[in-house]
Amino acid sequence: MIDERQEETASLYALGLLEGPELAAFEAELAGNPELRLRAAELREAAASLAHAAPPAEPPAGLRARVLASASGRRSARILPFPSLLPWAIAAGLAVAATGTGSLYVARRSELTLLREQQRLAQLEAASTRNQMEAERIVHQRELADARQSLAEAGRRLADSQREVGQMRGATEQLRQQVEDASRQVAVLDRKLKSETDLAKYKIMALVSMLKNSPEAMAVAVWNPMEQQGMLKVTKLPMPAEGKDYQLWVFDPHYSAPVNAGVFQLDPATGEAHVKFKADEKVMTPAKFAVSLEQKGGMPSPHGPVVLLSE
Amino acid sequence: MPAVFSWAVAGADGRERARARMTSPEEVRPDERSAADARILRRMAAGERDALAELYDRFSRPLYATALHILNDAAEAQDVVHDVFLALWEKASVFAAERGTAFSWAATLTRNRAIDRLRSRRRRAELLERSLPADLGYAESEGAAASAEEAAGQRDQARVVRAAVAALPQEQKRALELAFFGGLTQQEIAERLQEPLGTIKARIRRGLAKLRGSLAARL
Repeated sequence: MIDERQEETASLYALGLLEGPELAAFEAELAGNPELRLRAAELREAAASLAHAAPPAEPPAGLRARVLASASGRRSARILPFPSLLPWAIAAGLAVAATGTGSLYVARRSELTLLREQQRLAQLEAASTRNQMEAERIVHQRELADARQSLAEAGRRLADSQREVGQMRGATEQLRQQVEDASRQVAVLDRKLKSETDLAKYKIMALVSMLKNSPEAMAVAVWNPMEQQGMLKVTKLPMPAEGKDYQLWVFDPHYSAPVNAGVFQLDPATGEAHVKFKADEKVMTPAKFAVSLEQKGGMPSPHGPVVLLSE
Repeated sequence: MPAVFSWAVAGADGRERARARMTSPEEVRPDERSAADARILRRMAAGERDALAELYDRFSRPLYATALHILNDAAEAQDVVHDVFLALWEKASVFAAERGTAFSWAATLTRNRAIDRLRSRRRRAELLERSLPADLGYAESEGAAASAEEAAGQRDQARVVRAAVAALPQEQKRALELAFFGGLTQQEIAERLQEPLGTIKARIRRGLAKLRGSLAARL
């Protein structure tokens, strides 16, 4: 059973329209399919019959003689491109006649004619070959030009691609920088947030004067429980008497007595102090700060009068 | 712009339909004319030069007309026909009647050689844009007068073929014409007719199938 595809391929085959792998595949299929082979032969007959449908044309009268003369001239497989060999036949006939009559003159003239004819044929054949080679040269030039154009086009595409890759690399580097910047900003913000969180844990208290003669004296104490240190700023406190020092105390509910935070000195010119301090014990929740006037160098526990006290 | 073809032949009614051809695989039943052609080739294989003359008288008109139709050049058409008859003369011994008729062999040789020349000419002159011979049409009255019995026989056969071709739908005729005489590839035919390749293949298949059926019924 021949299907539509086989019928179609056989039709194209019959008309010589198959090429390359398509032709090879169909010929392989033909080899193993007698029915298809028969159909292909029938289609080839039908295709060949189209020759009868060409517009009628009478071959020139001389063509028949030319064919017959060429056929009698040789039996080899070589076919000359310009096989006008009628003179060969005539010359051959003359040569036979010369042999029959013994006329050396006729024989030599025939030989000469044959040689001239051979020379003419060789010239024609050479001209034909030259034409063919010229045609091939033109075709090859065209193909070479096409190939060069394709190569140039491929080069242009490669350059475009390389440019695009370069641009993409640049964009990637820019993105990387942006990511790094963003990471840095995040780190800064993180630190800032952390410090703000820490700040919320700071204990800040104002200390007011307990002195009747210096009611304007005051101080601000800031305590950082994470680092266990603080800052004290004192203003308008009178200078202590000779042999006396002001001493800072921290009150923490965890301890029964105030915790010593050290003595500090006032600036004689301004009567102010701005000092860092630490407590003798670990203080996490300071309830109050106080400043008392103690013996020079400070005391382990408060004995003198309180001059400043937080509210 | 596709060329306009005129395949119309007086008396072709186009209504005849193909009858099934009952043959067994590996067997192509030749008619009497084909059998006579085969006998002539056998004589040629035996070296009978008269047989070549006889074959020439039987085949030369359609072969020359085919070559001329393809090449549109009388000198080149003569060269093709000359070469084909010499090839038949030299290769007559390899002819196998069971593989096809002698005429099919000769016509295929002629068509292929003419198309080879046409393609070579196109390449040489870079005339791919102008690929077909200018005159693809013909008038029935242009044919040369018959001078022999063989000529009459060939004319009868040609008439049958033309009638079968005339009965084909126009688009199938054009596809077959370009395929057989135009020397174009499948793709080139599709481009010439501005149709998809699949459509062209289908037209060729249908056209050739109808032609095969018609010829099996008439010849």
